[in-house]
Amino acid sequence: MAEGRRRSATTAERLGRMLVIVPYLVQHPGTSLDAASRLFDVPAVQLRKDLDLLFMSGLPPYGPGDLIDVDVDEDGCVWISMADHFARPLRLTRQEALAVSVRATELLATPGVPQAPALAGALAKLRDALGADTLGDASGIEAAEAGRAPAHLGVLQGASAAHRRVRIDYAAASTSARSTRTIEPEAVFASAGHWYAVAWDVDADGERLFRIDRVVSAEPTDETFEPRGLEGATRPLYTPGEGDTAVRLLLRPSARWVAEYYATTDVRVRDDGSVEATFPAKQTGWVARLLLRLAPEAEAIEPPELAGEVRELARQALEVYGR
Amino acid sequence: MEPLERLLNLVGLLLETPIPLTFEQIRETLEAYRSDNLDSAKRKFERDKDILREYGVPLEMAPTDAWDVEQGYRIRKERYYLPEIAFTPEEVTALFVAAQGASEETAATQGVRKLLYGADGGLLAGDGGGPLIAGSDARIERVLAAADAASGHRRTRFGYRTSQGSVSDREVDAYGVVFRGGHWYLVGLDRERDAMRAFRLSRFTTETEDLGEGSGPPQGFRAIDHVEAGPWHPSGEDRATIAFSPAAAVLAEGSFPGAARTQERDDGWTLFEIPAADEQALAAMVLQYGADAEVIAPGPLRDEVIRRLEAVADG
Repeated sequence: MAEGRRRSATTAERLGRMLVIVPYLVQHPGTSLDAASRLFDVPAVQLRKDLDLLFMSGLPPYGPGDLIDVDVDEDGCVWISMADHFARPLRLTRQEALAVSVRATELLATPGVPQAPALAGALAKLRDALGADTLGDASGIEAAEAGRAPAHLGVLQGASAAHRRVRIDYAAASTSARSTRTIEPEAVFASAGHWYAVAWDVDADGERLFRIDRVVSAEPTDETFEPRGLEGATRPLYTPGEGDTAVRLLLRPSARWVAEYYATTDVRVRDDGSVEATFPAKQTGWVARLLLRLAPEAEAIEPPELAGEVRELARQALEVYGR
Repeated sequence: MEPLERLLNLVGLLLETPIPLTFEQIRETLEAYRSDNLDSAKRKFERDKDILREYGVPLEMAPTDAWDVEQGYRIRKERYYLPEIAFTPEEVTALFVAAQGASEETAATQGVRKLLYGADGGLLAGDGGGPLIAGSDARIERVLAAADAASGHRRTRFGYRTSQGSVSDREVDAYGVVFRGGHWYLVGLDRERDAMRAFRLSRFTTETEDLGEGSGPPQGFRAIDHVEAGPWHPSGEDRATIAFSPAAAVLAEGSFPGAARTQERDDGWTLFEIPAADEQALAAMVLQYGADAEVIAPGPLRDEVIRRLEAVADG
């Protein structure tokens, strides 16, 4: 029975796919199997198999003249005729239409997206065409004004596309210390409102994630690089490393958001509503700054020297004020 | 016969039929349902109906004649076919880029694939650089549920943790969803408080529960007006003057909306004018810069920062 269910799920997927691919092939005669396979993310072999089945289907009375005609020529190009009833795709479901709107809205609220004007136009056309039947009152799905893109986004995107090494001046969040590095930017993406570059840091000889709004200057060099296939937007923003320190904090109610904001483990809620949570940190410098901000609503538990680090930081800051 | 072939024929048959067809009529026409005995053919048809509905095929039942004696099946073309939308290649490409999420197969990708058929000239080349955005801090399912509720003007219930850490159940008439600063918010009428509120989706402690039809938004409602840009609301009149070290200046510029550089001091530190509506929140943000920031004005903010630093240093 389980076997049967699995097979029917596959059939369902294949049907869903065909109802979308066939209209495309009808409207774009002579599309190559390879192109269609890439566009719809279906293995070419599977697509070929499904098209062979399409060839057997049609309309009553299913005589030779009623069946869909599929021809894949020697160049692998697809020609479909007698498929008027499949010449237009199925409507978007409400879920699909909402999902497209949501993803487009995220992109529209991200500064520095070159596709934004076209996207806004496309979204408006989509909402018009689908209407309230499918989308409901979609006017409530809104993007905040995107604001300013980081100054060096364009340089890094260009260098990433051209596989060109870039010399950057970077301000680390943990210490505010500035450093000059040569990097090989492999992917540039936005996540939760910030732009990032995934790069190979030539000086450190390792993979690094840079927040582009912290890049103080960026200078492309003449040297090109061979991409190593570093993971882009699909990566987690934080990758645990061997040298990480386990930081455990006590968070009183107004500082509890920290436990959600970072990837915390071993979360324990105390009777008074405060929370203990652990998360890994490459350096403790930024944690000390975070604790300075949160005090007295948060305290360091582990590592033992962290509390002293926070006090020392407070003293240094007081010197700035002449105390 | 392969199930896929049977399903393709069924869709074609029900799309093209001028009158609703009973199961018996479908069975007479489609060989695939004829070979089995009646019961197993019926079961097969039931499964096929489920598959069609799963993919959003608007299969409906209707009387086969004016006397309402028998019910038959059909697919109405106007409900099945996507209306014609003339997209430019730039527009379709932009949608394609937008739909590419961190996870591979999403409803958004499926939706955009349906739109490709109308792309005159196909996709623009050169946009194959992988997904551009990794989305927000809330799961896409939760965002979709909120968008679903808002666009349908539904009443919802969910658990919510405020930024102060208190958790409670909320009943909200959903009016809109807003993406700002990397976060999704649900905006609506909080029934208990009888006031408009914005809820950050990443602070939901439960899934949203649908409570049925809700009220509609008031005239001229804009969801975005109800989501604060942050404590440093650029519309506020008050400004603070804060100096940042050379290393911190670039970070500060991006962290405080509405911050403006005014001058550079002799020691290389840069002075910023920063909108300061909420003194406590601004003091906290400045403290995170440790010894790389100094509040110059107003006096009470400077005193507050010094007070908090002394409390930690003496702690």
